Amino acid sequence: MNQKVSMSGGRVLLILGRLVLAGVFLFAAYAKLKPQGPMPWSPASVRTSLAMFAMQVDSYQLLPESAVNLVAHLLPPFELFLGLWLLTGIALRFSSLITVLLLGGFFTVMVHSYMAGLEINCGCFGPGEKLGPWTLLRDGSLLAVAIAVTIGSFLIRRNQVPQQIAASPAAPIPEGTR
Amino acid sequence: MTQQTPWRRVLVGAAVAALGILIVRIAFHGSSLPQIQVTASASTPTPTPAPPDPVAPASALAEVQPQAATKSASAHAKAAAVETLGPPIKTIGSKDAPIMMEVFSDYQCPACGSLFELTLRPMINDYVAAGKVYLVHHDFPLPMHPYGYQAARWETAAARIGKFQEIDAALYDNQKFWSADGNIEKYVAGALSAADFRRVQKQMVGCALETKPSQGCALDVFIEQDKALGNQIPVKQTPTYVFTNRGQRLAPGAGPVAWPILKQFFDSLN
Repeated sequence: MNQKVSMSGGRVLLILGRLVLAGVFLFAAYAKLKPQGPMPWSPASVRTSLAMFAMQVDSYQLLPESAVNLVAHLLPPFELFLGLWLLTGIALRFSSLITVLLLGGFFTVMVHSYMAGLEINCGCFGPGEKLGPWTLLRDGSLLAVAIAVTIGSFLIRRNQVPQQIAASPAAPIPEGTR
Repeated sequence: MTQQTPWRRVLVGAAVAALGILIVRIAFHGSSLPQIQVTASASTPTPTPAPPDPVAPASALAEVQPQAATKSASAHAKAAAVETLGPPIKTIGSKDAPIMMEVFSDYQCPACGSLFELTLRPMINDYVAAGKVYLVHHDFPLPMHPYGYQAARWETAAARIGKFQEIDAALYDNQKFWSADGNIEKYVAGALSAADFRRVQKQMVGCALETKPSQGCALDVFIEQDKALGNQIPVKQTPTYVFTNRGQRLAPGAGPVAWPILKQFFDSLN
């Protein structure tokens, strides 16, 4: 009974964590793709927004120009995809693992740049947010949530496997062997 | 005859005394300039007014050209006394350009120096010269930099005589040298002619080295105006830049950016 309660509690937390991560990534993608001024949505506004995001990626001074453009143009759509994937809950072990890798990479780069004394924008949710202790704390917390969701999803999957085996009907014993 | 002589002496003495008083007044108060009321828009930050072309004469300045040197000291004194200067012109390029880039920076900030050398300089030679971008500089000296405010004063003084671009480049080119000892004057002098340097130096009277504005320095009002504009953005670090494309202001950016990446952004706007 206690195990069942803890399992259901764990599932609730897992769902909450998954939804939080999904919301964060969907908002991050929206913030990077939306028009960065008083203009309507259009292919031109998206192109401008991605060019502005490329400037933020470049401000970290870690990548060559070609890589900056690649990251700037692929990351927002990937965040959109990842957010939707987390929202559906399909193959949560894999989506959460990819989330951990992505957030881990972001956090490492942010810490490195902050320790190097770079006065730049975070670029996490569009322009205008300075890289500092608050952004590091926030992204570190999200990374912790992602790790917890990943571990939880693997544990629940592991516990589900014996239950599925126990629940499956026993194979009939062939005649003549009784 | 004997009655006219004393009167003549009195008149000559009075004229000499008046001339002496005039010379003394000019010597001690000749560099003080009339207070210029500057108002910043409370609703929308506006750039500093600029001449249409950096090559064209700075017609926006209410400047009286000093007269040719004469042997008479009164002529020199009178010329210096009547020189009035307008607000500083801290812009490069044509204001008719479709894109305006406003940069809030601190001359002692290393990232601002990098931005100038690696990004703004090629941009000035390329897109600003081609009339695609209009560059506007705003001073935003940070209190952590002991000589940043003083550097802004020198640049502001130079901008009031139409020499902003020369001093802007000189300050960034020699940033690591004057940042070490605060000797900014040497590099300003090296970037100007002797006559222009005197005109700039005269404006620095009363501007003792400080990291905050002082009532005795007539240049500080312009720097504080820039800071007020920056606080409306708000500027949280330097360099911070704000783009306006055909009258539409975009979200601000900050930090270093390579010229090819910035150029790509400009190309995406039009």
